[in-house]
Amino acid sequence: MLTTMALSTHTTSTGFLLPSIHSAPPFFTQQPNPATEAIVIEQWTKLILSYARHRNLFYLRVEDAETGGDWDEVLRNDRINRRLPPTHLSSILAGMVAKNVATYEPAKQTRSVLLYWRLPEEWAEVLHQWASTTGQMNTIMTFYEITDPPVNSPLTNIPLPLLRKAITILAKSNRAQIIAIADGEGL
Amino acid sequence: MHRRGVGLAAFDRKQTTKRFEELSNSISQSQVTHLNNQLTQFRTALTHFASTHRDKIKSDPSFRHAFQQMCTSIGVDPLAGPRKGGWWAELLGLGDWQYELGVQIVDVCVSTRERNGGLIEMAELIRMVSKLRGVSGGSITEDDIVQSIKTLEPLGAGYQVVDISGRKMVRSVVKELDDDQTTILGLAQEHGGRVVEDMLIQRRQWSRERARTALENMLLRDGLCWLDDQDEEYGRAYWVTSAMKWEA
Repeated sequence: MLTTMALSTHTTSTGFLLPSIHSAPPFFTQQPNPATEAIVIEQWTKLILSYARHRNLFYLRVEDAETGGDWDEVLRNDRINRRLPPTHLSSILAGMVAKNVATYEPAKQTRSVLLYWRLPEEWAEVLHQWASTTGQMNTIMTFYEITDPPVNSPLTNIPLPLLRKAITILAKSNRAQIIAIADGEGL
Repeated sequence: MHRRGVGLAAFDRKQTTKRFEELSNSISQSQVTHLNNQLTQFRTALTHFASTHRDKIKSDPSFRHAFQQMCTSIGVDPLAGPRKGGWWAELLGLGDWQYELGVQIVDVCVSTRERNGGLIEMAELIRMVSKLRGVSGGSITEDDIVQSIKTLEPLGAGYQVVDISGRKMVRSVVKELDDDQTTILGLAQEHGGRVVEDMLIQRRQWSRERARTALENMLLRDGLCWLDDQDEEYGRAYWVTSAMKWEA
């Protein structure tokens, strides 16, 4: 008698469609075969960035694998009783940093990353777009006005380190007609 | 100096040639003409048939199958012939079609090799090749894949259709599966992909050492399975990916 386990996708309560590989028990284990593990890391990377974009999450910490919180829908699968162990997550994060789709933030530690589900260059474009469409070119704004505008923008809640990077990029290409001051700090 | 072959052997050759000449003279000229006419008619009819039904042959798998059966029964090989791909191939573009399919099969096998160790389920292969071809590719059947792989065989790339526990798989690595691996694969297919040491001990009367070695080789050396170290029953289970189905 042949039974096939057809792995299926699953939509979470926040409306995110988990890929079918997420229903495979071995997906959560760090694979001893390096070629296999490379595939596992690639799939987790895609999944993490996708989810972060969906929920507008910017940080992922190794400890998120243990404590409940924003990342539960992805780091665990209660339907098959599996969780991603912190050691495996740590290894995945290292992979993402190496691929430049994340960066260790704050610097000089390896437990927490800032995710680039949009690259800093892309954020720079978003910032430029937003400033021109809201008629704020050539004005002086505080960082706060960018991250917490009265009307939600794609930049709402963007972490300061990422915002700074975006501004630096704009300044380099001489398109920064925005001068932003953070609480009295000059640029 | 006389060359070898002159003498009795040469005499025989001369006799044979003479006999043929006599024979051809006895078939009347009109009969030969008639035969030639028939062949020309037949060829014309076939040509007409082929070009009229070219699109259907390409797009309809059961029609295609019937056509290939017909070719076989009248002794015509659609792919053979002095020209590349054969005379039929010229007419139908069948050689190109077969070639294109072959390339797509190789494409899918190579790109999934890391994931499944070079062994892919037929249904999965069909699904992925169909995706590559898109809507305009027409539907592809198992028979098409089998035919295409037959043409790949002489290339020595090691592509073969193998049968494991009644399930057709396509193997794309030259390495022969050893018997133990075949047993494990068969067991995996019966259990949705999951295999543990105890299954082999209880169901196949293997020693624990043999089970462990075979499974670990598949995992570490050959990359044919994935490890699950959170298995509720045994703590350590091996999942054969080619026996699992998942959407990319």
